[in-house]
Amino acid sequence: MNRLQNSDFERLALPLLDPLYNFARWLSGDSDEARDLVQETFVKALRAFGSFQEGTNFRAWMFRILRNTFLTSRSGLERRMTEQEGEAGLEEAAVTHNTPELAAIRKADTEMVEKAIAELAPAFQEVLLLADIEEMKYQEVAAALDIPIGTVMSRLARARKQVREYIVRAAGGRP
Amino acid sequence: MSCNWRDTVALYVDDELDTPSQEQFRAHLSSCVECGAAVSAQVDLKKKVRIAGKRFTAPPELHAAVYRSIRPDRSVSPWWKWALAPLCLLLLAVIGLLIYARPTRDPMVAGLVDQHITNLASANPVDVVSSDKHTVKPWYQGRLPFTFNLPDLAGTPFQLVGGKVAYAGQQPGAQLWYEAGLHKISVFVFQARSGAGKGGLNRDFSFNVNLWVQGGLEYYLVTDANQDEASRLVSLFEKANRP
Repeated sequence: MNRLQNSDFERLALPLLDPLYNFARWLSGDSDEARDLVQETFVKALRAFGSFQEGTNFRAWMFRILRNTFLTSRSGLERRMTEQEGEAGLEEAAVTHNTPELAAIRKADTEMVEKAIAELAPAFQEVLLLADIEEMKYQEVAAALDIPIGTVMSRLARARKQVREYIVRAAGGRP
Repeated sequence: MSCNWRDTVALYVDDELDTPSQEQFRAHLSSCVECGAAVSAQVDLKKKVRIAGKRFTAPPELHAAVYRSIRPDRSVSPWWKWALAPLCLLLLAVIGLLIYARPTRDPMVAGLVDQHITNLASANPVDVVSSDKHTVKPWYQGRLPFTFNLPDLAGTPFQLVGGKVAYAGQQPGAQLWYEAGLHKISVFVFQARSGAGKGGLNRDFSFNVNLWVQGGLEYYLVTDANQDEASRLVSLFEKANRP
């Protein structure tokens, strides 16, 4: 039984507009495309709201619609064609007890971190965006990206490792 | 990093551990310098990524476009909504007219009804206790700046109990207290207010309230007795005060 109304959709969805745009902007790398993606996401989500199961994660559902919309767009298809994904175990990502690396992270400014995120392969970038920026739990990230939770963990570890390495390189230290 | 707990660092920082595991790891952190440094670095990195990653904000026109797309009824009004507008105006006009035309309660009458009710509950409803009109009328001399006659009640069901001074609109007046069987009757007498000239029966209250103006004085009869009895006492007063 679906008791959700359109007013519920507004209440739930409108607060997600900025986070969805931020995610779309990172995914697409283009402001116009991000705008279209967000608008299309809202239209699709409203249309499918009747099938949304009350009690499940609405935020993950919205991000999933946006990501699927992106993946079926031209730039999304291009991304899938060129995507090279190397999975890594968590052990690769653990921060080492390395003083120059820790010092570089502490000193890194926002611009440097932005560049580090932008350098990430899309599959790692999206996991990092959802986990660290939207502060989603692993389970929520897995639902949004439609991937197993283990994959979320390994990609997140790899993404963080790459960000750290970029920062160390940019700071002039060894990778 | 060689510690066996190294895989737990990310889970701890991401708040993915259950409570017992969190407590275990916290206990470990107090003795492991490597893990402590790793947690500190992970937290630091996570914070920096969160700040840097929140880079883009949806432009206002996107907010407006999304709002329009999910609430189309706001931008395109169906014809019947336009038809409702004059109906609403008409309804408002009727309501306004009803409110305007509705007779408002005379605050003076309302105040006198309150005084009558107060008297009903009072152990001493009168200041001059007498069934003799020749005792009650002189009592008001010097207390009121006007005078009036009390009716002769012989052969009527009414009995004078007494009277006292009442105030309404900061003006002094007489409150005469009568009984008709078990019913109590107040007759208030005041100097006529400017613009006075009204009279009749006021049905705004649960009590019978009869008003009349005679010889420059306003009379108000308030009672829970029936209107026939009230009218009879009104007639007796009118007769007594005819010039």
